[in-house]
Amino acid sequence: MNSLWEKFLENGRVKECPVYDMHAHMGSFNRIYLPFGDFNPEITKSRLERAGIKMLIFCSHWTLFSPDIGNRANIEVVRQLPDKLRAYCGLNPNYPEIIEKDVEDFEKYRDVFVGFKLLSDYHQKPVSHENYSPAWKYADKKGLIVLLHTWGGSQFDGPEQVRIVAEKYPGAKILMGHSCHGAWDETIQLMKDFPNVYAELCAVVDDRGGLEQIMDACGSKQIVFGTDWPWFNHHYYIGAVIDSGISDQDAHNIFHRNAEKLLEGLI
Amino acid sequence: MEKIEFFDANVFIGRPHNGMFGAVNNSEGLLEEMDKQGISRAIVWHIFQYEGSPVEGNRILAEEISKSDRFYGCWTILPPQTQEIITEDFFKQMKENKIVCLNVFPDWHRFVMDAVTFGDFFQQISERNIPLFLTMGRSCISWDSLYRLMRDFPRLTCVLCDIGIWGVDRYTWPLLEKFENFYLESSQLSLEEGGVEATVKRFGSERIIFGTGFPVRYPKASILQLVHADISQQDKINIASKNLERILKKEKL
Ligand SMILES: [Zn+2]
Repeated sequence: MNSLWEKFLENGRVKECPVYDMHAHMGSFNRIYLPFGDFNPEITKSRLERAGIKMLIFCSHWTLFSPDIGNRANIEVVRQLPDKLRAYCGLNPNYPEIIEKDVEDFEKYRDVFVGFKLLSDYHQKPVSHENYSPAWKYADKKGLIVLLHTWGGSQFDGPEQVRIVAEKYPGAKILMGHSCHGAWDETIQLMKDFPNVYAELCAVVDDRGGLEQIMDACGSKQIVFGTDWPWFNHHYYIGAVIDSGISDQDAHNIFHRNAEKLLEGLI
Repeated sequence: MEKIEFFDANVFIGRPHNGMFGAVNNSEGLLEEMDKQGISRAIVWHIFQYEGSPVEGNRILAEEISKSDRFYGCWTILPPQTQEIITEDFFKQMKENKIVCLNVFPDWHRFVMDAVTFGDFFQQISERNIPLFLTMGRSCISWDSLYRLMRDFPRLTCVLCDIGIWGVDRYTWPLLEKFENFYLESSQLSLEEGGVEATVKRFGSERIIFGTGFPVRYPKASILQLVHADISQQDKINIASKNLERILKKEKL
């Protein structure tokens, strides 16, 4: 039995096991009512502290879905709660001129960004598309984190596409958001083939079995925790991860140690 | 402070024909899981009721749940006209077999769940306060047909399970507002950040029924969410067990 379970159950958070949420969002959204969608620094802080979330790394819905708003939505939010938040600079390949500008300006916002976020299934261009390349090259050179939305079977961000960018940009730290959901065998192969490729657990632990399969094959060193917050609840996901039967050491890796290593030098 | 006792409203036994991680094939396996999770009682159904034969599935379920007084059963119904399941002594059989609620899979089992098919029967279960468990998973029903059902049978006790991965408050809040016997099972409401809190604030804690969704979902997920939800201890107790107990007490079989 994982000894962290009793502690999370008792207190809701565990001091010696802080949690890094490596996949989150911010802002209200068209297709869903999000009770905590609107950003408010005090409320956001208290929600994160309830579950012992040490840091939440997000990309605003408004950035991803409006080129007119762009990364301003991320910058403004992080700077209101800098001890708890960092952002991914959101990339929309349908506006390559904005990507070029955002990469050019990246150093101005090192207090805000730890890397880039791609939402290729929604933007309908593959993660290897040339319009993303200024950002990929920059991430490769600087060792930035790149969070991809990935889904099994997708022509835009399925395992074949992840393989292309993982081969081409070994310096980038690639997080497979949702771990190529459902295509667990391919996810595992990618993790084995590329030390710079990580599985991220958002949506993976909605059902039992996926995390167990990934853990059996790869262990916990290339897995990070994420929730799509404010879509999904931190305690729900923490409970799910522990219920997969992992050891204390694996839980420490997934909840914070791997993230701490990834973020070294970036925060 | 009163302790939270967990009464799980959403569990099945039996192994699905296409396989499922960690599914248990009998009541012993389920008891072991419940002990591990600290869950005291459960309303159980058998996956064969859905995947194979509702008639035989209901029979296997009754046999399995007879092995422990921690179990209550949920039988699957089909249109009364074919008399496959709903026969003259149906309610008596429910009582004899510890069956406390019913579920129904109209789209998958291929019939129309409306007043034409179920008029008299749904009137009867409304009067007897027998809860009907519906799921938004497993090709069960559409939101349109759920709305039509509640319009046609406004006093029906209905528990909506497996409400969906994406938050569905825009669909469920109108139903909670209009129909006082309409309830939400918690295993996916707990998944939604702030879903439980927002629902309690708007409608009170009486309208949510605890469920784990085992074996599909992780029980510790909905347990940890509920225990640390930003609501009162009494609200948590209501959701974890008291609401379901209250519903079952009102039942006349
Ligand atoms: Zn996301």
